[in-house]
Amino acid sequence: MALSVSDPTWFPIASSADLPLRHVYHGQLLGRELAVWRADDGNVNVWENRCLHRGVRLSIGVNEGAELKCQYHGWRYANRSAGCTYIPAHPADAPARRITNKTYPAVEAFGLVWSAGNEDVPFAPFPGADSGDWFALRPMPLNAPAEAVMAALLGYAFQPATALDAPAADMQAEPLPGFAVRLTAHAGAERQAAIFFVQPVDAARSVIRGLLDTTPADRLAVLRHHNERLDKLRTRLEREAARQPAPAPLQPSFDKVSVELSTMPEIAIPRGTTLNVVVKRKWTTADGIIGFELAGIDDNHLPTFQPGAHIDVHLPNGLIRQYSITNGPGELLSYVIGVKQENAGKGGSKVLAETVREGDVLAISEPRNNFPLRRDATRTVLLAGGIGITPLLSMARFLDKSSLPYELHYFVRSGEHVAFREQLDLLVGKVIIHTGLPPDAVGTTIATTLGAHSRAQHVYVCGPGPMLETVRNTAAGLGWPEEAVHFEYFKNDKVIDASSTFEVELARSAMTLQIPSGKTILEVMRDNGLIVPSSCEQGACGTCLTTVMEGEVDHQDVYLNESEKRSNTCMMTCVSRARSARLVLDI
Amino acid sequence: MTTLYDFELSGNCYKLRLLMSILRVPYDVVPVDFYPGRQHKADWFLKLNPFGQLPVLEDDGLVLRDSGAILAYLARKYDPSGLWFPTDPATLADVLKWHAVADDITATSSAARLNLGMFYDFDLEKVQQGAHRIFRIMDEHLWFGEQQGRDWLCAPAHPTTADIACFPYVMLSEEGGISRQDYPAIRRWTDRVRRVPGFVVMSGIFPAGRAAE
Repeated sequence: MALSVSDPTWFPIASSADLPLRHVYHGQLLGRELAVWRADDGNVNVWENRCLHRGVRLSIGVNEGAELKCQYHGWRYANRSAGCTYIPAHPADAPARRITNKTYPAVEAFGLVWSAGNEDVPFAPFPGADSGDWFALRPMPLNAPAEAVMAALLGYAFQPATALDAPAADMQAEPLPGFAVRLTAHAGAERQAAIFFVQPVDAARSVIRGLLDTTPADRLAVLRHHNERLDKLRTRLEREAARQPAPAPLQPSFDKVSVELSTMPEIAIPRGTTLNVVVKRKWTTADGIIGFELAGIDDNHLPTFQPGAHIDVHLPNGLIRQYSITNGPGELLSYVIGVKQENAGKGGSKVLAETVREGDVLAISEPRNNFPLRRDATRTVLLAGGIGITPLLSMARFLDKSSLPYELHYFVRSGEHVAFREQLDLLVGKVIIHTGLPPDAVGTTIATTLGAHSRAQHVYVCGPGPMLETVRNTAAGLGWPEEAVHFEYFKNDKVIDASSTFEVELARSAMTLQIPSGKTILEVMRDNGLIVPSSCEQGACGTCLTTVMEGEVDHQDVYLNESEKRSNTCMMTCVSRARSARLVLDI
Repeated sequence: MTTLYDFELSGNCYKLRLLMSILRVPYDVVPVDFYPGRQHKADWFLKLNPFGQLPVLEDDGLVLRDSGAILAYLARKYDPSGLWFPTDPATLADVLKWHAVADDITATSSAARLNLGMFYDFDLEKVQQGAHRIFRIMDEHLWFGEQQGRDWLCAPAHPTTADIACFPYVMLSEEGGISRQDYPAIRRWTDRVRRVPGFVVMSGIFPAGRAAE
């Protein structure tokens, strides 16, 4: 059986014990180097050993518990998805979702970690796997081809754990599919079965991985017994291999970075790519706030998100609403969102709160981040008002995991209004809950909390409109520059004036459009067949942000800050319009 | 007054910088241009160390040579806990055994690095194979140590100068074309060394992340 880089067989590539928390194991299978790491939630990641940024080995990176940090430029990649969550050279920006390292399938079973060169066949345990309480031996790496190792293993002899000093045991060998053999040793009445696997590291390198069918009473003596015998086998095999011409190393093809990653992206991202999720849990997390846990339909993880990100939820009544993800880093098996029960509302959150039940399937968008979190601040202040806790809870959990300093101030009407308390209790950082403060006391508390600005301090705020105004005004009064004040509105309370008429030239699309009163730029672009991204369509979320090349913008959104608005270089096409007769947009 | 005659890229000098950082010993540095200047063979340096080798440490007028001997000196003098260089006979013998292994690692792994990086005339294949032979034994020793709850090269539940002496040229082995892929227990041990409070890096040696809490 010649080795092939396209072999879909699952091989053991590490022992479970090789992967303590916060370690990155350096593995290899069929010529492909692997970075293997266990996240704090126990999940084992098997990734191509190459940061897609500059190709540096991820096995010398830092396992931060839920993200792997490349040693070279500090790019962080999420547990499970290998999606990029943070780029230190662009601390204020959200990395594109497409930046994802190559992953390989991984299963942890019988004390070993298994992987395969591709996902062509599902993992299946070896024959008889359910008949043992498997005990992993010390792996034996050796410089010999897998076929030769396999042939030699058929003649490997050992003693049952209970008869180490008995006369030499009788051996029976039963080859198993792939590079594996079941060996049974009989010494008098004592009997022991073991399975030995050969991991083909490369054409001329292998690892022998053995499992005993029982955990021996004297573990150390049995481990040493096999270690000595396998070492002898290794010495013999390596001597023989050294006499043969060395086989050529396997030549796995490394996928090039995809065209979409290596070129400038198209400006237009189609709207409406949705994925289905099932409501796994629905619960009242606080008075008037319902928690929803949304899980993937199959067992696969959900797409990568960054702290501050939101998803569009498509509701049964046709409405689309945005909700922030509250998750901590690397938690991709489900998203947890918080929904405020609104008695009066038009029916978005009301539908979710009242009619959606556990087990229901909902369509959601991929996560989108218009509220990115910097990780280079010396001080990070998180200010949450009511349901505004949701993005800030995620931020606090990320900062916690990276051991970065922060303080979370959570303003609520009363103790019963504190949402996600069980998650707040787990935070290591400074969490202060301010209960039932009158508006002026909120203002003074915010002022005291912020204090005078100094370099590398950032504040993030999410909550009701008046609270955001207070924070922004207070921060400005205390000398905080606008780029240090990050905010996210739930909605745009401003009355939109859509009375103007003007002309829009789309520079990249070579189109000129007339915008009549009563219609938005976004609507007219869509009427003319353009595919442009949007989400909230009320000037709050930032998804339709567009570069302005010429003309004067009539800003009507709550996403941009004042200096961004004054710069006249960008706008939200869902609500904002023109003061000049003509706008030129980079679309 | 402590002065280290130091070459920035020398793993043997780094051993002393590392232990002095851990033990918070302040020191001055006299740079010695080992490569390309070969100042360690200059007359002024040979007066300090007739063997013409780095590092040399001057401490209160005493001139000390040999990185392993200086590690022992620093630990005995500046570590009031006595944990870094224990003197009970069995542990002392164990520590000195690994100091000797550290010299073997220098003769192989460091030699491969000097050959590839600084054009020294060594038989590359031979020194690489020599390093692999040591690393195999070391990996086995550390693997069985993990099975018995021993995190370090020697028996005490605390690192010793043996760990400091062996660490640099293990970590720099890849600069000599010696992969550590086949030595997972060594790789885990290097994580532990890099998490010792007071740990400092040198060129080619990266920090480890925090341990899980």
